[in-house]
Amino acid sequence: MDRSSDYKALGGKLVRVRLKEEKGLIQSVKITGDFFLVPEESLVKLEKMLEDAPLREQELRLLVDRFFQATRAQGLGVSSDDFVKAILLARGES
Amino acid sequence: METWRLVDIEYSNDPFMNLAVEEAIPRMVGERKAPTTVRFWHNSNTIVIGCFQSAKLEVNMEACKETGTKIVRRFTGGGAVYHDSGNLNYAISLPKGHRLVPDQNLQSVFQKLSEGTVEGLRKLGVRAEFQPVNDIQVDGKKVSGAAGSIRWNSVFHHGCILVNSDLSILGKVLNVPRVKLEDRHVASVQKRVTTVRDELGRDISTSEVRDAIVGGIETCYGVRVESGVLMKEEVGLAEELYQTKYSLLEWNLEP
Repeated sequence: MDRSSDYKALGGKLVRVRLKEEKGLIQSVKITGDFFLVPEESLVKLEKMLEDAPLREQELRLLVDRFFQATRAQGLGVSSDDFVKAILLARGES
Repeated sequence: METWRLVDIEYSNDPFMNLAVEEAIPRMVGERKAPTTVRFWHNSNTIVIGCFQSAKLEVNMEACKETGTKIVRRFTGGGAVYHDSGNLNYAISLPKGHRLVPDQNLQSVFQKLSEGTVEGLRKLGVRAEFQPVNDIQVDGKKVSGAAGSIRWNSVFHHGCILVNSDLSILGKVLNVPRVKLEDRHVASVQKRVTTVRDELGRDISTSEVRDAIVGGIETCYGVRVESGVLMKEEVGLAEELYQTKYSLLEWNLEP
């Protein structure tokens, strides 16, 4: 099932999530928006890490936090919490 | 005194080549093959989207076709901007570890490397101030937006300044999601931006603004800015980036 959300982060930046969900699991996800993330190439890694993840807050939070720790990516206008909330909003709950 | 190179190289009818040059410079600065550089340039009738944005979501494709507006993706994050000949673009490329931006924090980069532009605009009489995350505003209205990156062993910052742009096209070619406008209590993108011309209440050219910003950079950063040209290797790299990246639909329009 296709799901989507447009989530406005605290700093005003937009996180737009388009994902495919099957039986509560993320099949694929595309995250776009006007935020900053350095290194830029790391966003693809986050999308890859989210594949097959359950659409549940606890698991998503662990995954996104792990992404920031592993890649040492620097977000500006967007945080780990914003990514999690944007994905949960696509599920239909925030 | 430290000397920075000033280049005015532009391809005003080829935004794809403009963005190829934009990437070639910090790459060469990072390799220590080119000096710290300030570049000024223009595009005609182009939307430049951020590297994380979806062209299909952000851009009104029909309006672009009708108005002959080109779409190009840059290599930095941030939001979509509309460029015409009344919009002045500037870019600063520093080697990583430069004294002005020692801590590699992107917010600090935006703040520090916007100071020269803010100073230049103030010298002209515009009450400009930096507004985090990446804007320069006048009384709450955006007159310039910046983006940047820390990569290729360099620190890169660029921005566009609305000098005397046609704001009526801006509202047509960009799709601004409702959620983005909600907390600003304004109905459209057109109403939350302003131009240098409107703030000064007189006609002003982009070259006058450019000269003021060069002065602002020299004052703020304690450097001398001297006219220069691109090196042969930079031009070669820009041509390669044009062929392999910026002229391709896959780069510019997908996802």
